[in-house]
Amino acid sequence: MSQKETKSLWAEALQRILKDKVATLSLVIVVIYALIALLVSLGLVAGDWATAAGPENMAPNGDFWLGTDFLGRNVFKKVIYGTQVAMSVGLVSSLIAIPIGISLGAVAGYFGGIVDEAVVWFYTTFSSIPTIMLLISISFILGKGINSVYIALGLTSWVHLCRLVRGEVIKHKNRDYVQAVTAIGGGHTKKLFRHILPNIFHIVIINASLQFQVAIKSEVILSYLGLGVQDVPSWGKMIDDAKQELIQGHWWQLAGATIAMFIIVLAFNILGDALRDALDPKLKGKDA
Amino acid sequence: MIKIWGFVVLVLFIAASCTKNNSEADGEKVLYISTPAKVKGFDPNEASDLYSGNEVARVYEGLLQFHYLKRPYTLAPNLAEAMPTVSTDGLTYTFKLKKGVLFHDNACFPQGKGREMTSADVVYSIKRLADPKLQSKGWWLVDGKIAGLNDWREKNADAELVDYEAEIPGVKAIDSHTVQFKLTKPFPQFLYALAMPFTSVVPKEAVEKYGAEFLNNPVGTGPFTTETYTQSNKIVYTKNPKYRDEFYPSEGEEGDEAKGLLKDKGKKLPLVDKLVVSIITEEQTRWLNFLKGKLDTMSIPAEQFNQVIIPGKGLAEDFTKKGIRAEKKVGLDVTYNAFNHEHKLFKNNLKLRQAMSAAYDRDKINKNFFYGISVPAQSIVPPNIAGHIEGFKGPYQNLDLEKAKKLLAEAGYPNGKGLPEITYHYKYDTKARQMTEMFQQMMSKIGIKIKPMGVTWPELMKLVNTKQTMMFGMAWGADYPDAENFLQLLYSPNQAPGSNGSNFHDPEFDKMYEKASVMGDTPERTALYEKMYKYAAEKTPLIFGFHRVGYGLLHSWLKNFKFTEFTHGISKYYDIDMKTKSENIEKL
Repeated sequence: MSQKETKSLWAEALQRILKDKVATLSLVIVVIYALIALLVSLGLVAGDWATAAGPENMAPNGDFWLGTDFLGRNVFKKVIYGTQVAMSVGLVSSLIAIPIGISLGAVAGYFGGIVDEAVVWFYTTFSSIPTIMLLISISFILGKGINSVYIALGLTSWVHLCRLVRGEVIKHKNRDYVQAVTAIGGGHTKKLFRHILPNIFHIVIINASLQFQVAIKSEVILSYLGLGVQDVPSWGKMIDDAKQELIQGHWWQLAGATIAMFIIVLAFNILGDALRDALDPKLKGKDA
Repeated sequence: MIKIWGFVVLVLFIAASCTKNNSEADGEKVLYISTPAKVKGFDPNEASDLYSGNEVARVYEGLLQFHYLKRPYTLAPNLAEAMPTVSTDGLTYTFKLKKGVLFHDNACFPQGKGREMTSADVVYSIKRLADPKLQSKGWWLVDGKIAGLNDWREKNADAELVDYEAEIPGVKAIDSHTVQFKLTKPFPQFLYALAMPFTSVVPKEAVEKYGAEFLNNPVGTGPFTTETYTQSNKIVYTKNPKYRDEFYPSEGEEGDEAKGLLKDKGKKLPLVDKLVVSIITEEQTRWLNFLKGKLDTMSIPAEQFNQVIIPGKGLAEDFTKKGIRAEKKVGLDVTYNAFNHEHKLFKNNLKLRQAMSAAYDRDKINKNFFYGISVPAQSIVPPNIAGHIEGFKGPYQNLDLEKAKKLLAEAGYPNGKGLPEITYHYKYDTKARQMTEMFQQMMSKIGIKIKPMGVTWPELMKLVNTKQTMMFGMAWGADYPDAENFLQLLYSPNQAPGSNGSNFHDPEFDKMYEKASVMGDTPERTALYEKMYKYAAEKTPLIFGFHRVGYGLLHSWLKNFKFTEFTHGISKYYDIDMKTKSENIEKL
């Protein structure tokens, strides 16, 4: 009975999103970006971004939609490759942050007492360190490169989710359904992971979609500062190039990188909002 | 409520008027300059890079300095009263010191009053350069050259406390104002060493009081003083009110009179009251600051070059009508992409090095980043000093892809097959990254994969000093105008942490260097220098880049600017014409 209910929550959520045109468009955009990233990862597109495809600093034209850069590289291909970097950073850092956030938050909320105090103390301390400083120091320790960007962003972005999960678990742990599990002899693990977590998972989903775009923006900032990816294109590095190019009238690197970033960040934000509305149990059964 | 609001307004008003009074006091001459790299602090022992050295030399002084106006570069006394007397065997140098030179007032002295600098301080400072516990970056300068100094260093290496009281035969205080140096062997460049920031005179009291923090607490004899240094983006210096009687030079190079460089002759230095050095790493930011008149001088950024300098005409009208002037800067330097010869890939791998050098398109880099005006380096010695061969074409220093491919195959990596990815470290800024990407692209043409790694300057120095690189980008500016100063970059005893950061080791080269380094300035020495110049081109220990040429721009109000390779301590000669400044700053 309960399983069927849960299923219909997700189905209904999807239905609601599809009803909202803007949200649907956002979803499509995210899927397209993800596909591009996947194709780049498999080496099927933009693998030859590094070769000089044409003359240097050429303005956008039929052959090169976004022109070429100072080495004659195709800027459009760099934008495409940058998509892979951005999306993979979003994905991997979320994959690191979410398990940390869920497990610490769940454990703290569920067990309470000293465990809770320890976790709360830890994340309060942790979040009082300015994120960008933490990112920089982590990338100093781990060295430069995309792996440190993954880890740095993953390790710095779990606090928000942890707080939310802790709060939700506290709310749920004394509910009737959990007490029922206790009554039939379910242990802590079962209660927490089989019963409470599925009921709060929508929070994780919403948070992940917002986390994703924060990670993308952070990657751009890190790469702009020279702390991010090193030998592959990144939107941040393209914006960095533009600093010197704009004055010469070469606007296309900046345009390509910022538009690509703008679209995906906006799409994730809208999608995040839509997901929140769609997955909120309080709104269930009502028209959005 | 109204009362409180009024109170706030009043406080703000007072605060605002105070700041105004502090910074823009009537007629106070403030010189605004910038430096492109983080400064490591004010310890002369650590002043191994140009930028830190510049800051050190505003506060500290050594026995000698370069004459500001004379060319070719000539030494002049600084803390010394006159040039030293040298014994006939060229081993003993006797210096008389100026009398009445005071250290800056500082809490490290009794009652905070700076005492007189004496010969004991000179001896102390040289010992400090050799202190085994301090691992000075300038040790190479005196290593093995001053009698007894190496023994003293070794004896104290394991001692708990370094014994500064012990006498060293090679550096002695004869009386309170006479210092005598005894060298182990003739070292004609020794006097140049005494004009470098490394050999600046520091007071024992400050070193002892501040310990590790001495780095941030400069106490010298120099023309300017500054507060405790914090790693900030701005260093503010004020004129040392007790600066000794030091005057603007009364003679210079031919033509200096006409350029107005001698107008201030005989005036007491320094000429400005305050000096503000901004640390701005981005060229674009420096440029905008210069255009707004917030910096008094800077080099023309490569991207701006064709808007600023019109070929055949000189400075563009946009600039001349604002009173801005341009000065050509022909530097004594060389840039290079270095191999780490301790790395197994490059050790004794001559053909690989030659292949990479031949695949490096210097003209393209020159055009893109130096506006085509720099000189592609054929070997290690820059133009305008003996040892450089004008018109010499290095065998592997000019683009030849066929040759490069052939050499690479001979090295055992046909089309780069079997060659691992090569990590290349460089000091990160946008231009350096773009230059590295271009280098990466050039190498990919013969199948070599380069992995660029942009790091901060201190990080890069650390990696190089601990031999942890594969390849890295670096440049060397002359410490003194002698080819020996460039050739020593390849001398194997100078390996990291010394100046031979590439750890090149070639017994043949070492032998020639050892012979040349004790020779006086003779045609034989020049011939030997030239032989080494060609030898270095053949062995390709580094991918030689450029001898950089640039233009410096200066605002109408900056007086007494003359381009010099030896920028240490020159800010005391600069002057600001306040009247011109107030008139012209409006036009910017």
